[in-house]
Amino acid sequence: MSCHSIAVRLLCGAAFVAASACSESTSPTSRQPVAVLQAAQAPDLSTLARDVPGFGGLFLDHGVPTVYLTDPLQRGPLEHALGAFARGRGFAPSQIQVLAGRYAYGDLDRWFQKVSKEAFAQGGIVFVDLDEAANRVLVGVERGASHANVRSLAARLGVPAEAIVTRDVDPIQYAATLQDQVRPVVAGLQIHFGNFLCSIGFNAVSGGQNSFVTASHCTNRQGGVEGTLYYQSLSSQPNSFIGTEVADPVYFRGGVCPKHRVCRYSDSARAAYAAGVPFTLGGIAQTSGPNDGSLDITGSFAVTSEGTAVVGDVVNKVGRTTGWTQGTVTNTCVNTGVSGTKIVQLCQTFVSAGVGAGDSGSDIFGLTGGSSVQLLGILWGGNSGGTQFVYSPINQVEQELGPLTTF
Amino acid sequence: MRSWGGAALCSAALLVPRIMTAAPQRPDSITFTVVAPQSVRRGKAVPITLRLTNTSAGTLNLYLTGRTITFDIIVTRADGEVVWRRLEHVTGQQIVQVKTLTPGETFELKDVWHQRTTAGARVSAGDYTLTGVIPTDREALRTVPLPLRIKP
Repeated sequence: MSCHSIAVRLLCGAAFVAASACSESTSPTSRQPVAVLQAAQAPDLSTLARDVPGFGGLFLDHGVPTVYLTDPLQRGPLEHALGAFARGRGFAPSQIQVLAGRYAYGDLDRWFQKVSKEAFAQGGIVFVDLDEAANRVLVGVERGASHANVRSLAARLGVPAEAIVTRDVDPIQYAATLQDQVRPVVAGLQIHFGNFLCSIGFNAVSGGQNSFVTASHCTNRQGGVEGTLYYQSLSSQPNSFIGTEVADPVYFRGGVCPKHRVCRYSDSARAAYAAGVPFTLGGIAQTSGPNDGSLDITGSFAVTSEGTAVVGDVVNKVGRTTGWTQGTVTNTCVNTGVSGTKIVQLCQTFVSAGVGAGDSGSDIFGLTGGSSVQLLGILWGGNSGGTQFVYSPINQVEQELGPLTTF
Repeated sequence: MRSWGGAALCSAALLVPRIMTAAPQRPDSITFTVVAPQSVRRGKAVPITLRLTNTSAGTLNLYLTGRTITFDIIVTRADGEVVWRRLEHVTGQQIVQVKTLTPGETFELKDVWHQRTTAGARVSAGDYTLTGVIPTDREALRTVPLPLRIKP
């Protein structure tokens, strides 16, 4: 359990809660008989420590109220202090399970506070917890960071080495969305240039140059290289500059291009990452699920192949506006006029799936098992209802931008 | 680069070490109206203007669609049947354009309806309504429907 902020603490296990999984209170636990609902509330552990000599922690072991005691003879005071709580959980006081504790709660709390105050200054510390279920102080150490430093610190603070347990853990993460600044840069995130917002299609290496690909119309001028400067996610943020446009073939006339129109086979452009910008080759931001509207990043997909979709295939995209959407390919190799322009995009793919303004440049991919995906192309357009998107197939993107290493 | 007044920053750490959160400013005080003649003769072109005004005391950032701002006009008969949509069967680029409006500033989007249905047929005389729509990166902005009478 990890809900510490002050010395007075309450048990905060998930089993106890309906609404507030980690609430704290300074009000003392009543010694009087109480209603079941009140009795089910978590007791004040500091009060227990005061009233039950040798109390070392309270938790539920498979639903059974369980207590550490350094002195087994204190069972009487324990049952008195926790009787109402036990009954509220459906147990008689005599059914409270007692484990032999090595440390008293008061000592653990004092050591917890000492370690907590100093440990975070060392770096690599994810959390410090008075672990009621282990009768120890638990220190979460970021994977790869030193555990020895924690033990040295404990010794310096006079905390018994046996009272400290260290564990490798992952960093605690704030939820971020596709519209936030995220590093390393992955596909699906918002990018900003001029007064426009788009999405990153995929990361790539081209001729040794670390790059990302987005839509051609997500450059200062669609077709032709103007050195568009890109920021992720907004230029107003510090350290948000990520790269510069380096490839965006001009649109052509004649040949297969309809009269009075200009054409390309893909709406794609490539930008070179600025030095030092971390990115994940093949990485695509993953949200909680397809077509659920969430923009919160919950993980990532990994591109492991490239391919081509046919009518009837189910494909996906992740973009900054509508997140992860999924639908069926309805048309392939469609010569598509672009509203408000003279542009015709040749041989594009239509998908019946959600899309919105700002999704331009998004990755298109197929799921191939687990988090592995097959890269299929770059999204650039959609209908006014937001129910159909259009993308440029990956083979045509590479035909125009040159060979790309995408995973 | 220009400063984005609506962006708020807070640091965090994610599946990745660093994150900055941007909270785009949303319009909380705008008026959006459609302007057109009350009546026109059958067959005459109908000029239509969508007018959007920042009525707040602060600068607003609007998150609109397209390199050229995308807007829709919907013409319906009195019975509610849609006879024409400006964006019907159109494929548009899915790019966000951030349009900044200073306090009191208005911008207009104009088009003409040639009294034809989406399929190209001439409409008959009668009562119609016009509705303006501007897609954004969230909910579209919509005007109150405006009555239009087409005289014989």
